[in-house]
Amino acid sequence: MTPTGQTEAPAIKRYPFTRTSPLAPAPEFDELRTNDPVTQVELWNGNRAWLATRYEDIRALLHNPNLSSDTMREGFPQANATAASFRGGQRVFARMDPPQHDEHRLMLTADFMVRHVRELRPYLDELIDNFLDDMQASEGPVDLVKVLAQPVPANIITRLLDLPPEDSEFFLERVNTWMSLEVEPAVSAQAGADSLAYFDRLITSRLESTADDLVSRLIRERLLTGQLSRAELQHMLGLILVGGFDTTANMIALGTLTFIQHPDQLQVLLDDPSLLPNAVEELLRYLTVAHHVAYRIAAGPIEIAGRSIREGDGVIAPLMAANYDPEVFPSPHTFDIQRDARGHLAFGYGVHQCLGQALARVELQAVFGKLFQRLPNIRLAVPENELRFKDSLIYGVVALPVTW
Amino acid sequence: MSVKIEVMRERCMGAGNCAEVSPDYFDQDSIDGTVVLLRSDVEPGDEHEVETAADVCPVAAILVKKTAASV
Repeated sequence: MTPTGQTEAPAIKRYPFTRTSPLAPAPEFDELRTNDPVTQVELWNGNRAWLATRYEDIRALLHNPNLSSDTMREGFPQANATAASFRGGQRVFARMDPPQHDEHRLMLTADFMVRHVRELRPYLDELIDNFLDDMQASEGPVDLVKVLAQPVPANIITRLLDLPPEDSEFFLERVNTWMSLEVEPAVSAQAGADSLAYFDRLITSRLESTADDLVSRLIRERLLTGQLSRAELQHMLGLILVGGFDTTANMIALGTLTFIQHPDQLQVLLDDPSLLPNAVEELLRYLTVAHHVAYRIAAGPIEIAGRSIREGDGVIAPLMAANYDPEVFPSPHTFDIQRDARGHLAFGYGVHQCLGQALARVELQAVFGKLFQRLPNIRLAVPENELRFKDSLIYGVVALPVTW
Repeated sequence: MSVKIEVMRERCMGAGNCAEVSPDYFDQDSIDGTVVLLRSDVEPGDEHEVETAADVCPVAAILVKKTAASV
């Protein structure tokens, strides 16, 4: 150490990095993956954390039983003060470790299994046709976020939980504020508290319900049997809401923008609609909207890429860095709907991999199938550089004015 | 050479990737969504598909084993 405060080692990088192009990961990921694949970064509060950038390392870390998701552990790394305010104290399986995690998660898996969610396709197709009918009945331009991207997942979640459709507005606003990294910590925390209070009232109203909706079943089979506490059920419903809303909404809006930016790829899809499932996987990889998840803390020692991670160290395994590893996805910055992108980590990896991924796939396949079939000439109604993007737990675009 | 699938159901978290990638071989249990192996003998030509299913499993609950065919 020198008295003038100069350091000889290269300055430790501050994380999260800043994007330099709206849809691409920050350039530091590519640089680190080549030069220093498991490195240390500094966080908003001065704490340090390990940051991995290679696909194999990120998969290995997220699969490692010594890596904990429990935000209650001292020193758990967070993206910023706002993220710290909404992610502390969550009593939900996304923030638990096995075996309790497994027990809670498996209470929900059957409802989200591939075979069940595929049965939603006819309902989704009709829903989307109705939204597109309304869109085409107007002269345009319209904000695609408001008329399609948000309403599709909002309708699915309210159907799944059997909520009054008019409550969607409340949820959309509260979830957006809850997950935002741009609002004050107290504002985010309040939005989270409001959402959880809604579920508390919902639980009360369905305590004696004999209906078959997911909420009533969880009350009967898990709450009243003592397997879940009331707070745990509240947080579980909150997780379904958060997991199902913003993620899919942002994928729909950013996915549409991606195809608008790549008319050659849109033409490939229009020429061969059987590429749709593959195109959705490539969109999931290319966009990796869950750009601030996969923060963990070491609950025991971990050896990775020649580095020794000790108990109590923060670890960040960004899904986006994995999905742009050229060793696994050649020319990763190229959007190519014909590549095999199925190994992407957009839904995470390990025991916490997205529970609702089959549902997300069904929604995205239905939306993009209908949207481009009916509006093949869809285009932006504003210059691209006027679009504003959201720095939230999940990445998104604030509004997407389009015409067709 | 014969190719066989084994699943470790106790590891399964019901993500459903296997049933998505290779529905002829994998399904999910109606009660808890965990993996159900529909058949363990892999037909010639399906090896790549089942290996992809094993690779995308987030908890490595699927094993694809190549063994010399019994005489």
